[in-house]
Amino acid sequence: MRQWRIIAKEAMARASIIGKFLCLLHVTDAYVLSSNHVLGPSMLPTLNITGDVVLVEHLSHRLGKLGSGDLVLVRSPLDPKKTLTKRIVAMEGDKVTFSLDPTRSHSSRSLVVPKGHVWIQGDNLYVSRDSRHFGPLPYGLIEGKVFMRVWPPSSFGLLGE
Amino acid sequence: MRQWRIIAKEAMARASIIGKFLCLLHVTDAYILSSNHVLGPSMLPTLNITGDVVLVEHLSHRLGKLGSGDLVLVRSPLDPKKTLTKRIVAMEGDKVTFSLDPTRSHSSRSLVVPKGHVWIQGDNAYVSRDSRHFGPLPYGLIEGKAFMRVWPPSSFGLLGE
Repeated sequence: MRQWRIIAKEAMARASIIGKFLCLLHVTDAYVLSSNHVLGPSMLPTLNITGDVVLVEHLSHRLGKLGSGDLVLVRSPLDPKKTLTKRIVAMEGDKVTFSLDPTRSHSSRSLVVPKGHVWIQGDNLYVSRDSRHFGPLPYGLIEGKVFMRVWPPSSFGLLGE
Repeated sequence: MRQWRIIAKEAMARASIIGKFLCLLHVTDAYILSSNHVLGPSMLPTLNITGDVVLVEHLSHRLGKLGSGDLVLVRSPLDPKKTLTKRIVAMEGDKVTFSLDPTRSHSSRSLVVPKGHVWIQGDNAYVSRDSRHFGPLPYGLIEGKAFMRVWPPSSFGLLGE
């Protein structure tokens, strides 16, 4: 009987160390710095279609220090389980002019980005589904700012405009 | 010199215990259960104008188990620093009929809630600013479901419809 109690006590101690570590890892990952695997054609040529590993910082958007030209990770307004990587083209109050389908026509539309929202677009306008399709993005859906790429090694370096 | 080193070591040990505790407290608060102070007239008579303390669980919205009639805490699409407490009136795909200003006219409008969004309204339709003003709310802005009130003691008990 005492054997089991000693084993259980040691298991609890180890589980609590693992628990504390995961806790700290998560808080760092969600509020300070994380690495994310991003893929898809919507950000060509900035990001590769087959996938890159980027470093994302989670401080700027909480401090209100985001601006046009920043690459951001956002939660999709169409599917809350998905995360998108796009570029902020306009902040709240800015006027944005965009063309819905550059291959089909030269016509463009303009609007002012409402309060509490940003306008995001993929660098590859031909295949990206972004604010031109689902409208201005509420600022609260922004999760972090992509500032650096670490994989593949040939493209290692800072990102930005 | 050795005195300082001993003091510094003990300070570090205590700081790390406090750090681990805050970490665990935050993860519980953000992902499982939290208590929130909510106030304002937009949810009368369900919630008091001077403020209530409610328990909010953060599991249902991640598991997709929210539905019409649930009281939810959401991040405001107009001001990302603010959190609102409203009721889900319609889920994605549902048709919602609403009247913008019940005091002024009997006219009402209808629309279908788009994919990835919900329609929220305050119980006090006369003073609440909600989806009737800022449109359907992206599901990703939902932070938790308020299920119980713990203060004031006279209104202690489960919330819901």
